[in-house]
Amino acid sequence: MTKTVTRGRIATSLCGFISASSIALACAQPGFAQDKPELRIAAIVSVTGAASALGAPERSAVELFDKTWSTRTDLPFKVKVISYDDGSDPTKAVSLTRKAIEEDKAHVVVCCTTTPSSMAILDTVKAAKITMISMASNAAIVEPASERPFTFKTPTSDKLMLQRTLNYMKRQGIKKIGFFGLEDAYGEGGLKELQPVAKEVGIELAATERFARQDTNFTPQALRLKQAGLDAVYIHAIPPSADLAHEALKRVGYTGPIYHGAGSSINAFVDIAKANVEGAIVGVGALNVYDQIATDNPLRPVLAKFAELYDGAYGKGKVDLFAGQSWDAMLLAVNAYQHMAEAKTDDLAATRIAIKNAMEQTREWPGVNGVFNVTPTDHLGLDKRSTFLSQIKGGRFVLIEE
Amino acid sequence: MFDTLLFLLVDGITNGAVYGLVALSLIVIYTVTRVVNIAQGEYVTLGALSFSSALSGSFNLFSWLVAGGLAAFALLDLADRRLLSSVRIRILLIRSVWIAGVLLTAFAAHKFPGSYWLAVLAALAATVSLGTLTYRLTVEPVSGASPIVLLIVSVGVYMVFHGVAVLIWGAEPQSVPPVVDGGVSLGPVFITYQSLWICGFAVLAMAGLYMFSERTLIGQALQATAVNRVGAQLCGIPVRFAGQLSFAIGAGFSAVSGLLLAPLITANYDMGFPIGLKGFVAAALGGIVEYPTALVGVVLVGLTESFSAFQISAFRDVIVFLMVIPILLWRNAVRPPEAHEH
Repeated sequence: MTKTVTRGRIATSLCGFISASSIALACAQPGFAQDKPELRIAAIVSVTGAASALGAPERSAVELFDKTWSTRTDLPFKVKVISYDDGSDPTKAVSLTRKAIEEDKAHVVVCCTTTPSSMAILDTVKAAKITMISMASNAAIVEPASERPFTFKTPTSDKLMLQRTLNYMKRQGIKKIGFFGLEDAYGEGGLKELQPVAKEVGIELAATERFARQDTNFTPQALRLKQAGLDAVYIHAIPPSADLAHEALKRVGYTGPIYHGAGSSINAFVDIAKANVEGAIVGVGALNVYDQIATDNPLRPVLAKFAELYDGAYGKGKVDLFAGQSWDAMLLAVNAYQHMAEAKTDDLAATRIAIKNAMEQTREWPGVNGVFNVTPTDHLGLDKRSTFLSQIKGGRFVLIEE
Repeated sequence: MFDTLLFLLVDGITNGAVYGLVALSLIVIYTVTRVVNIAQGEYVTLGALSFSSALSGSFNLFSWLVAGGLAAFALLDLADRRLLSSVRIRILLIRSVWIAGVLLTAFAAHKFPGSYWLAVLAALAATVSLGTLTYRLTVEPVSGASPIVLLIVSVGVYMVFHGVAVLIWGAEPQSVPPVVDGGVSLGPVFITYQSLWICGFAVLAMAGLYMFSERTLIGQALQATAVNRVGAQLCGIPVRFAGQLSFAIGAGFSAVSGLLLAPLITANYDMGFPIGLKGFVAAALGGIVEYPTALVGVVLVGLTESFSAFQISAFRDVIVFLMVIPILLWRNAVRPPEAHEH
């Protein structure tokens, strides 16, 4: 008896719900189709897998963007975010990109966290003529722009950072440096960029020593560097190896300045070695020192707002360079959509191309990563204003005024 | 030049001591169970990580997992119908004390965060128990299989441990404080007290193991099992127990080497594997059976690594692992493999 009653009730309420929602849909659909076009951004991030440490903050920033933008009613258009996880797997990134293009009818694909995934989807986005904004660091993703017309990226390049660092070294009277880096793709990439920059600036690269992420002993290489009679050592690695390399140099009695690449510009660098890395000079992004840069810097309000939003949502002091990569990518896409030359229509193919053209017209756009000036030949669009040098003082990244 | 030499010597020996503990573990396990344990390095990782989380006062999932595993096997043993009730009570008592030991040490470390020796105890109780669990779960069911099967099984164990370490502790490296801060200056060379602890413990462990296997009945039983399994079984030595004990000793030594090494290089989920491999190279010099030759091996590996890193840093691992080839050739010439067992 009771059973039939319950069943009957469920059936009635289900019927009621379905009819109600279909009426609501029927009313709503033509409504916004008429007055507000929709911008659909597919964000494909490596939330799991090997790059999850980078992907997690990126996903958080995407969610934050979704929360703040999807609900806005003051815009002449609507924003819809489609979120996927590629599991740090390039094959999966490709199939998810296809899905975003064909099923979700996205206008922009924000992908991917890693360089291999970003490289893997290049052909797919080129064939579909859809704008892709990568969050990976390698310059090869966007270069040359003539071959990758639909590909853009947000993180600054090693080259810009190295130019800034080496120019600073030169002003400090440093003539002879040693490279101390990881022997994987990251370290080798840094060395390859360092060689031409050193030649250009006029600094001699007198020694190169390598180590691996899993090494237990960094002293022998550090001894070698010490004996090479260098003015400074440049470490291109990520924590904890960057910390251990730094400590090894100090242990063997090397007293000269020690510089670090952007790989060390995360809080873990200080957390691991604590007082042992005091005095290290680290190339950082604007976000690391956002409360210290000049108040008239166009980046400052953008950074402060992002840091406030992000810390407000995820806890104080959580804001992280990688969260900035996806945040900039999402906002660049919105900015391009807002500034399209053509009228906003529901024509998918035309809108995709219009967004790409508008991306290339981005001028003096302040993001978390720096000021973007994207052109048809430069699809990164950042300049030296995206890089800063800092020194570790009292466990903090303290901006070096130049 | 002399400074450099001294530096390289000291570091080579410190690293050699770490590899030595792992090599020792490998030998104990191989001689008794014939398992070439690829997963040995993972005990280094697990020791370091569980120590680091115990020290920070978090009651880690790892101790729960191990205690759960012990409880499951205790139930399995109790379910055996042929047992006398007195034996059953004894099993019940021993196992409950054991499980309580794992959980209590973890709980004590949780209650007194920052207490160094309690954290060591908690980490050791968990990893040593994990060693016996691993033996029961993966080696015992196939104990009659050929060494190659056992080797492949240990590869599987390695993969599981590696994944579990990431799951429980995440990929971020954790910094670990040393036993005693600071160090001494030996002329121009600064030696941290931690390095001295590592060397000291390695020497103690080796001496202890020697005394144990020469002077105690259990040690003699282990040796007997190592020499001839079937014979030992016929003499009434419980081979199963010997296997568990060898895995426990192996896991314990490796875990200690991990938690002593962690302050020098931070504790992280993939620190163990290369250490395990280098320990293997050293143990290979003694054919994974002779302790004294393996000792020479670890010093050799430690120094080769240190000096090759100084000379050509890009090739240091290549040189260390290439050493296996001359070592094996030398062993074959000096001591041709006999067709032992079966």
